[in-house]
Amino acid sequence: MDPLQRYREIIPNFDQFQRVQSLPLPPTARINTLKMDEPRLLERLDEEGIGYKTFSWYPLGLKLDVESPGKLLENLLGYIHIQEELSMVPPLVLGPRPGERVLDLCASPGSKTCQISQMMENKGLIIANEPSLARVTPLRSNCERLGVMNVAITRYDGRNFPNVPFDRVLVDAPCSSEGRERKGPGVMARSNCKRSLDLQALQIDLLKNALRLARSGGVVVYSTCTYAPEENELVVESVLDRARLEKISIPGLKDCPGITDWNGVHLDDDLQLSSRYYPHLNNTGGFYVAKLVKN
Amino acid sequence: MSPSSSRIRNIFEPLEPSYVADLWNSRFGISLSVFLGYLFFRKAQSVWAVNDNCLPRISYEAIGMRIMNLKDRPWKPTTSALQVFGRHATKNVIHLDSINAMIFLEGKTLVIESNCEPGYVVVFYRGEVLGCGLYSHGKLVSQIPKERRMASVVENGACEDQ
Ligand SMILES: C[S@@+](CC[C@H](N)C(=O)[O-])C[C@H]1O[C@@H](n2cnc3c(N)ncnc32)[C@H](O)[C@@H]1O
Repeated sequence: MDPLQRYREIIPNFDQFQRVQSLPLPPTARINTLKMDEPRLLERLDEEGIGYKTFSWYPLGLKLDVESPGKLLENLLGYIHIQEELSMVPPLVLGPRPGERVLDLCASPGSKTCQISQMMENKGLIIANEPSLARVTPLRSNCERLGVMNVAITRYDGRNFPNVPFDRVLVDAPCSSEGRERKGPGVMARSNCKRSLDLQALQIDLLKNALRLARSGGVVVYSTCTYAPEENELVVESVLDRARLEKISIPGLKDCPGITDWNGVHLDDDLQLSSRYYPHLNNTGGFYVAKLVKN
Repeated sequence: MSPSSSRIRNIFEPLEPSYVADLWNSRFGISLSVFLGYLFFRKAQSVWAVNDNCLPRISYEAIGMRIMNLKDRPWKPTTSALQVFGRHATKNVIHLDSINAMIFLEGKTLVIESNCEPGYVVVFYRGEVLGCGLYSHGKLVSQIPKERRMASVVENGACEDQ
């Protein structure tokens, strides 16, 4: 059976959702303002006859009309970074400012790390943490290609990251990745409720540690690219005794509120303040994002 | 600071900014002030640069960007670092035309006349830094890292024909 069937009740226009889910995703990229400003980059694309469309909700996001965007000179020189459209949401919700100290707890391959860096104008400090040695390589090479100078990389298990205070922490958690199905088959085959529950234990521990590390009043953003409530609302609900949810609003990007009922159980009403993004709403992948402010 | 001990212990040791700035100044004529606002570290034979900030005392895998390698004589700048600092260079730079720029980006060697001193040079195209090249005796050898090279149109075509 299609593992997504269990979401029939929570995803609006489910049939349309399923149709879009089987269509390929358009390639997207972010303009890297550490190396190139937006008008100059767009001018270059125009000159080279490369088709693009700017996102309605983010002027630095581009839908590209090319087959292998990774091979563009602009990508090799680090003027753009190939990044999924919704992957650009969590850094915006995190809202880092130049000079702050930020932790990216689950960082590789660093698409969000580098976006945070450009939002901070290469000032302040980002610690990009990634326990997997193999995954540190792409993280480093993306930071270097994009001209990032304010990132240090660590390799802790995020559950035990040492006690250092941060203004903001991003937990872009390892998840069942159901929202990435449009990137290619295979994700769904591994997806089921049991797997989600296994991941949930890890996700809760990561989020709890992130909240321990954030300063009081600091912002913690929790995000996944999956639909499973076990990995989303149920994880966030477990920390609502130490943080409050804040509503996310990104003008021009359609979302659905986080769910408050699942499998006959009523969840905390505040979870509506978190956001679910579905493929058929904006022609993207799928994502879940929650913004927490530490008490 | 003790460059020799970091070579042995394989840990990040702070480096005097003037040590780094002087090397870049003498090879590329980059003003010393360009290197203000950064901290420098040495680990084994590599030098790293990071935005000047208080670094928590924890264990690091990487600190900022790897900017140079001291293993061989002369020292070698990374392409990433040249893309950040190289535009301030006032000597040992080579400007390429569009055909040569593409060949350089494919990672190949160009035959080119230049009055650069032999050694590593900053390679420009249309006023933008492409990366690091090694110049000597009328030859420019591209040092662009493999994963950042343009696929060679000619080579791929030849393979497909076979
Ligand atoms: C969804 S990916 C992160 C994507 C990344 N934030 C980006 O935008 O490019 C999740 C990452 O968490 C890492 N991870 C797995 N277990 C972890 C743990 N215990 N602590 C921290 N990170 C972990 C995985 O290796 C993986 O690279």
